[in-house]
Amino acid sequence: MTRELTLEIFRYKAGDAAPHFDTFRVSVPETANVLDAIEVVWAVHDRTLTFRHACHHASCGSCAVRVNRREKLPCITPVSDYANGRLTIEPLRNFPVVSDLVVDVSGFFQRMTASGLVITRTAETSLDGKPVKLAEGMSRYNRFEDCVECGICISACPTMAASDRFFGPAALAGIFRARQETSNRPDKVRLLELADGEHGVWRCHTGWECSDACPQAVNPAEAIMSLRRDLIVHRFKKLFGK
Amino acid sequence: MPPHPLSRIRRAAQWGDVRSRGLGMIAYTLNRVTGLGLVVYLYLHLIVLSLLAGGPSSWDAFVQIARSPAFLVLDVILIAGWLIHGLNGLRVTLTGFGIGLRSQKVMFVVLMAVAVVALAAMAVMVFSA
Amino acid sequence: MNSHNVFERRQSPSWGWFWQAFTGLGLVVLLALHMIAHHFVAEGGIRDYAGVAEYLRNPVIVLLEVLFLVTVTAHALLGVRAVLFDFGLSQRTERRISRALAVIGILTVGYGIWLTWTITQAI
Repeated sequence: MTRELTLEIFRYKAGDAAPHFDTFRVSVPETANVLDAIEVVWAVHDRTLTFRHACHHASCGSCAVRVNRREKLPCITPVSDYANGRLTIEPLRNFPVVSDLVVDVSGFFQRMTASGLVITRTAETSLDGKPVKLAEGMSRYNRFEDCVECGICISACPTMAASDRFFGPAALAGIFRARQETSNRPDKVRLLELADGEHGVWRCHTGWECSDACPQAVNPAEAIMSLRRDLIVHRFKKLFGK
Repeated sequence: MPPHPLSRIRRAAQWGDVRSRGLGMIAYTLNRVTGLGLVVYLYLHLIVLSLLAGGPSSWDAFVQIARSPAFLVLDVILIAGWLIHGLNGLRVTLTGFGIGLRSQKVMFVVLMAVAVVALAAMAVMVFSA
Repeated sequence: MNSHNVFERRQSPSWGWFWQAFTGLGLVVLLALHMIAHHFVAEGGIRDYAGVAEYLRNPVIVLLEVLFLVTVTAHALLGVRAVLFDFGLSQRTERRISRALAVIGILTVGYGIWLTWTITQAI
């Protein structure tokens, strides 16, 4: 059994005055996922289409895009979810676009690295070539098990939409996780104060979109609010000289 | 550095588009819209109050207008505005302090139901005064 | 998206949020009192000049209304600040906006106190 789909895909190449959409009709198996449809477009119709894909089973986070305005991992999103067969595919919000569906995630990875958790992907080469300076003595902790660093929460976040400097749900959830992972008190405190920064937990507008959109149930919103609670307790204790 | 596809203004206004967004985002946008509306109302209200400085003749003339049905409709819209903003604001305050995190969606639905009931009751009171 | 200085830490940026929350909670009570006093107790749903005069005769009432004005102005302008801060502004611009809004707040409360004073003097 096959499905006929109409894909409207966001196109942008360096040097273009403005982005535009290209429409493609593809035929895929009934059980296909959205990423399969995108690959058919590339394989059969337009070899200039640029998109990211790697593991195809939601453990690498590479393929994240927006389908009909909603953030998804297309590798695990069935085409049968879209009854009328019309899909609009756009890149993630709140990241600069490199080419078509590929966005510049270097800043995102620099933040993830800064929270001190080891990630199994190394940070992508920053397009402006600048490395990030890590704080002195920042230890490395275990990998943040659930988060696949896909960037979907960044795309969904209303604060991220407006401010490039907001630390972001994923990195803040990473700090929360890092604090759980360590029993070293100074590190715990240092991480908490990192979250207290100018663009840390207090910029969150409680939109809950990050937790809603996350394909891995990381629940970054809960992590951010828990950090706030920890910060209040921390300040209270400092007030009484503990 | 590749360009951002949207201008800064459009990025800042992204919260206004709730298509395909979850309940939390709808609550957030509602709070912003009602909040901004209430700021406008606040300053209008303060300006109108200056009529009091003109004594009974100027203020009581305004009171006549304020009792007209059209005005009462505006009053009900205003009440809806601060009921939604206030009740949802309670939820934002609680969750923002890390309380009730698991039940934030339920909280929103319940509080908006309370808002609807309260609005209906107050609308009746407004029109029967 | 540059990382800028991800470790840039200054005095806690949370003061805006805390005051927003506290004034909000305060308003739950103060707004309820204001609404009851002016629209549900008042004859015909709104006080005429005589009604206002009688109302402001009580100094405790005057104090509560001024407290209400301060709280609602603070909450409103903090809200405007939050919306403006979503425009990805520089730290300097953000500080200027905070200061400008503080000035607007003081002027607003000043106007309210002046108006109340004028009315109580005339009655």
